[in-house]
Amino acid sequence: MEQKAERKTRREGTHLLVRAGEYSCALPLAAVRRVVRALTVHPLPGAAGELEGLAEFGGEPLPVLNLARLVNASPGANPSYPVTVVVWVGPVEGREMIGFTADAALEVVHVPPESIVAASDGGFLQGEAPVGGEVVRILNLDALGR
Amino acid sequence: MDAEPTLPAVISAEPVVVAPSGRYTENALLGWILVVGLTLVGYLLLALGSPVGAPGWPRHLFLAIGLAGVVCYGLWVFPYFRDLEKRLPEGRDRWSKLEGELISAFEQLGAGDLVRSIDHTQGLPERLAQISEAASESLSQLAQQIQDSSIEVASAADAVNEIASELASGSSQQAASVVEITAAMEELARTASQIAENAGRQAELAARAEASGEAGSAAVFEAVSGVEEVQKRISAIASRADALGTRSKEIYRVLDLITEIAQETHILSLNAAIEAAAAGADGRRFSVVAEEVRHLAQRSQESVESVRNLLDEFSSSIRATIVATEEGSKEASRVLERSRAAAAAIEELRGASGDTSRVARQISLATQQQNAASDEVVMTLREVSLVVQRMTGGLKNLSSTADRLNQLGLEIQLLAQSFHLNSPRSLKHLVEDWARRIEPLPTLPEKERQLDELVHNAPFVELGYLMALDGGTLALSFNQNLLDERQQSLAAKVRETDVRSRPWFKAVSRHWRTTLIPPYESMQNSEACFTVCTPLRNGDGSIAAVLGIDINVTGWTRI
Repeated sequence: MEQKAERKTRREGTHLLVRAGEYSCALPLAAVRRVVRALTVHPLPGAAGELEGLAEFGGEPLPVLNLARLVNASPGANPSYPVTVVVWVGPVEGREMIGFTADAALEVVHVPPESIVAASDGGFLQGEAPVGGEVVRILNLDALGR
Repeated sequence: MDAEPTLPAVISAEPVVVAPSGRYTENALLGWILVVGLTLVGYLLLALGSPVGAPGWPRHLFLAIGLAGVVCYGLWVFPYFRDLEKRLPEGRDRWSKLEGELISAFEQLGAGDLVRSIDHTQGLPERLAQISEAASESLSQLAQQIQDSSIEVASAADAVNEIASELASGSSQQAASVVEITAAMEELARTASQIAENAGRQAELAARAEASGEAGSAAVFEAVSGVEEVQKRISAIASRADALGTRSKEIYRVLDLITEIAQETHILSLNAAIEAAAAGADGRRFSVVAEEVRHLAQRSQESVESVRNLLDEFSSSIRATIVATEEGSKEASRVLERSRAAAAAIEELRGASGDTSRVARQISLATQQQNAASDEVVMTLREVSLVVQRMTGGLKNLSSTADRLNQLGLEIQLLAQSFHLNSPRSLKHLVEDWARRIEPLPTLPEKERQLDELVHNAPFVELGYLMALDGGTLALSFNQNLLDERQQSLAAKVRETDVRSRPWFKAVSRHWRTTLIPPYESMQNSEACFTVCTPLRNGDGSIAAVLGIDINVTGWTRI
């Protein structure tokens, strides 16, 4: 039981580390569906600033958000290899896939929950935690689904 | 200077001795008595000397003729002498009058007054008057011609003197100029020698420059060949560098491909990790493999980056090499162009040096010839200088001769002016004309104003003055055109002097006739002048004053 609990904790602490502007952001790996090269995005007229548009993924339309704008990062230089991270959001029974455009997908890291310093608003930005000598922003995709 | 030149006396002043009245009648009576006596004596001698028996008619005839002669003498000769005796005083008076007129005429003629001498011939017999008048007229014309000619001679001599002086001055300047030219020519000759030497040295230098130019030309041609070879090699390096650049681009494309594969591999490893995580415990090993793949992709990417960095450096080096070879090629082209230009310039310089050498030799030769010609010119100029100096001396002699001729002309003018002619150019006539105008004026101020007017209208008169017989000055008038204020003040000092001791006053007072004083130097302006003076008379003919005028010789000859 303890091993299962430890595994669950470990699985929940695993994140995909991506680069969004000047920030490194950690996405819960359980919510990540796929990392692909930056998809071709078709802008939607009248859409909000974070929503870049719709892309095609697996034969389905995929709304794509700009991760850097979501975390209020200033736009960096042109990334050499931008990616689109496809994630699950929302409850399990009615979850949906959305895409995040990021400057780069870095690696899979483990962020212990106790190392996370929770953010004050408790929204999309869960908190910050040190990873490999760098402060990483931990994102809460469930908050995005709500 | 104080004596008037006079003509020689022609007529003696001695009176003619006239026989006393009645003498002719007495002589006639004595002649009649003598005739009677001689008749009677002749008759007695004939009577006593005749032989006895001789006829008596010769005696009677002699007596008859003698008596007839006595009667005739008594009837005709004696009355004639008596009549002659009666008419003799009238003839004697007439003769005395004619004699006086003739003496006066000759006296005036002796004094040179040809006007009054003619006036005195009016009473002479017509023929004698005509002869005297013709003689005076001829003499007057002669004197007039002498006056005119003397003035012309003096003027001409003055002009000759002036021209000779100018020529002498010009000759002096010419001589000085010739001396300067000689000095300049000598300097020119020296300069020509220096030029010849310099030209010789320049010819040598030009020859050396020509030889150096030939060597330099060869060296430059070699340099041009070397630069052309360098340019070819630089071009080859540039070509190879360009080929390397092309190859580098191909390598970049390969690196991009490898990078892309590494990225894809990286993404693939991440997706594998995601799938492994989704697989839970079953995917743990797979997640390890995925992690290894990700590391491998990362290392591949790092290696690619290293290669890219090296390739960047390599490319930079190649670009730098290309740029350097291009610049080197351009520089080599420029050097080649300059070398060719330098070769052309050296070739031209070599030709110019040759020309310079030839020209310098020609200059040297020409300047040597110029030197010789300059020496000849200097010798000629020295001869010219001697000639000019002699000419200057001759002109000075001519000037002095002309000066002497001018003096002679003035002396002749003086002699001619000693005649009183009825001509406006006769100074005696002039001063007497002035005297006639002044004499009738009653008061001294009027006389002085008249004198001022006369002096003002006579441009050749320096000074006019009226002197009393006691030597005092009655009136004094200046010609302001001839005398300035200082000279007028000098002339005014005559008021302070007694003029009776002056030569002109002595001369005029000697005979109270119009007198001309020979030329002398004016006290006022140091120029030559005449003084002509004449007595002024009162209404009764007595001498009242002396009128004198000073004639400026230059002004007089100018008119």
